[in-house]
Amino acid sequence: MMNVVGFNPHFKDEIAAEPGGEKIELCFSCGTCVAACPISWIDENYNPRRLIKMVVLGMRAQVLSSPLIWLCSACDLCYRHCPRGVRISDLMNAIRNVAIREGYEPDRAVAQVNEWACAGCGLCAQVCPYDAIELTPVWQWGKLSTLPIVDKLLCHGCGTCGAICPVSAIGITGSRDEIIVDQIIEFAAGMG
Amino acid sequence: MVDAARHPNITLLTYAQVQNVSGYIGNFQVQVLKQPRYVIPERCNGCGLCPEVCPIEIPNEFEEGIAPRKAIYVPQPQAVPLIYTIDIDNCIKCYKCVDACGKLHAIDFSQQPEEVTLDVGTIVVATGYDVWDPSPIEEYGYGRSENIITALELERLIGESGPTAGRCTRPSDGEIPSSVAFIQCVGSRDSRYHEYCSGFCCMYTIKNALVFKEKYPDTEVSIFYIDIRTPSKGYEEFYLRARNEGILFIQGRPSQITEDLETKNLIVRAENIELDQLVELETEMVVLSTAAVPRNEATTLGQALTIPNDPSGFYMEYHPKLKPIDTPSEGIFLAGAAQGPKDIPASVSQGSAAAGRAGRIMVADTWLIEPIVAHVWPDRCINTTKKCAICADKCPYNAIVVEPDKPSEIITAMCHGCGACVAECPHNAITQMHFSDVQILAQMHAVLADKPEEKILALMCHWCSYGGADTAGVSHFKYPSSSRGIRVMCSARMDTDFIFEAFRLGAGMVLASGCHEQDCHYITGQQHAAKRFNKIPRRIERMGISPERFRVEWISAAEGAKYARVITEMDETLRSLGVERIQEENDQARPKIEKSLSRWLEVPGVAEVLGK
Repeated sequence: MMNVVGFNPHFKDEIAAEPGGEKIELCFSCGTCVAACPISWIDENYNPRRLIKMVVLGMRAQVLSSPLIWLCSACDLCYRHCPRGVRISDLMNAIRNVAIREGYEPDRAVAQVNEWACAGCGLCAQVCPYDAIELTPVWQWGKLSTLPIVDKLLCHGCGTCGAICPVSAIGITGSRDEIIVDQIIEFAAGMG
Repeated sequence: MVDAARHPNITLLTYAQVQNVSGYIGNFQVQVLKQPRYVIPERCNGCGLCPEVCPIEIPNEFEEGIAPRKAIYVPQPQAVPLIYTIDIDNCIKCYKCVDACGKLHAIDFSQQPEEVTLDVGTIVVATGYDVWDPSPIEEYGYGRSENIITALELERLIGESGPTAGRCTRPSDGEIPSSVAFIQCVGSRDSRYHEYCSGFCCMYTIKNALVFKEKYPDTEVSIFYIDIRTPSKGYEEFYLRARNEGILFIQGRPSQITEDLETKNLIVRAENIELDQLVELETEMVVLSTAAVPRNEATTLGQALTIPNDPSGFYMEYHPKLKPIDTPSEGIFLAGAAQGPKDIPASVSQGSAAAGRAGRIMVADTWLIEPIVAHVWPDRCINTTKKCAICADKCPYNAIVVEPDKPSEIITAMCHGCGACVAECPHNAITQMHFSDVQILAQMHAVLADKPEEKILALMCHWCSYGGADTAGVSHFKYPSSSRGIRVMCSARMDTDFIFEAFRLGAGMVLASGCHEQDCHYITGQQHAAKRFNKIPRRIERMGISPERFRVEWISAAEGAKYARVITEMDETLRSLGVERIQEENDQARPKIEKSLSRWLEVPGVAEVLGK
């Protein structure tokens, strides 16, 4: 059974004070977002309506430590359908900001750069839909070179950067080009 | 309706529009435009021979377009009066109806629109509501998929006198559906379209679901809802009956309805909140419970009647609790869904109440009105020599008549006593009974007689902020004792001169407070006041007075805590500025203020109060 005693009634105000979290109290739990969410259809544990309700109820520790708050991909399909005009992607960012300040780290695959292979062309930074990649000059092996630096908190792990990179120097942990190529070869071999 | 038509004291004007309304309680003149029917009412006996020969077929509006009607028609079989009308836009003038009518000679193509003026004592507005077209909600696919219909369309299918004689068939194949899903809150409770709850959809959906279940017990009926609202007598029992009859209630607003192109079945996607599960329900027909919306002409008719529309577009009642049937214009009453969405029992109750309210006036020989009204001094009004009409422009009730070269005149019976004209008149040619300049000035002189620089003069409106101050008092909220309040009827009465005079008298701070915009008891009084107050900080700053010494706050009667907080904050500002600085500013500004107030002395009685 849930113990209401440990709940923090001010948690919703804390989220509402965070940029993007202002509309938290508008939600009347109709469930439209859940039915519209492509992630909910893949992973039934992810339920934006329930997360909002948990925030409103003040389940601070449970929300901030939950791996589910990192799943929203900001596709905004729910925002188009929401009768209350709540933008859940903004709301999730607000919750994430609080979580990060409290020392919780996102548990998800993000883009990684192979510094040896990177030519510093900057294509990855141009295509990133979340502005998570920034080109930064770095002193490397005695000379100044430009390297893409990935902001782990902004990266959603979509892999667009890996697809555009001409030298396969960037990719998502666990699904880098060479791993996918290996999988294709294995698959093709299986097909005979 | 038939009884109403037969009543000797009731005249029905159908197929007619209200063009304009003038006058006041007991003496209204209503201009009505009677559209030509091209049928002479006295001769038509409603026999129905003419539509049989009419070759034109167009969608029947009453049947929601499901059935056709002819160009010569009655809107519905039970229409009162039962007189045929020619829809001239669709008529091809083949004159077959004239032949069919034969010796009755009831058809007359030479009819023209006719304007009539009615002298009436009271008016009851019962213009009803419209149903919202749900096509803008693309994800619900209304208009794209044949088998998605609105609740009103279903109502025609269910009706025994409807085009299908009560067979609830689905449009794509004319078969009885083996499953049907109802979707609630389509366009209502939705900030994108209509914020409010339409109120009666839950009940008619439960009714329709039960009718479906009774007619076709094998049909699976489900209802998708956000909340089921059954607040009236016997309604909850009806809801429980529907649950017992096996109707499936699914809590969750669908995000999408897609169509199977082969079977024309529909797939409703939603979250079942009770089970915390996603559902994809395949159903043969979907019924959308759409929002009830104000009539198209609600705004133009409202302007003609001088009754305001609320933010959702329905007519606004005078007071939500104490005068829910009256309008801000005396002698005009509201009945039914014109005031807000409501079901039949509520509409009937309100209709009876409106008739009762109007009847009180109709049987009276004289009618007492509030004595707090405005009055023009004809000799002071500048409109005799120049074009002015500022007062008429500011009057929320259109109570002021301004004719060229004549002093403006206030129709006392229409005046509600907000005082907007009194405060706005640039020549101080208007006064208000019980709240004259002299009376308010005398109060100001009294409250600021002793150590004015340590005081906050609070001007409060009668309805809201004075109530707020009262609430602060009776609730024992603590706030500094430096405030001195003066009550006027509306913030619109708070003349700029009052604020200047307060500073001339040496006041430390001035607060102007009134109702919130949407709560204003004088339609637009608060808006006039807000506009006026916006200009004051810059003007006093130019005179050398710190602009933070004047504050405007909208405080409702319930906001006692806000009143206490505002006074506390103002007291802090007063202390931080210090008495010396305030005195210095006032001394510096006094000559300029006196210059700007010089014309005030001409107002009868003001010079005596000012001691000049």
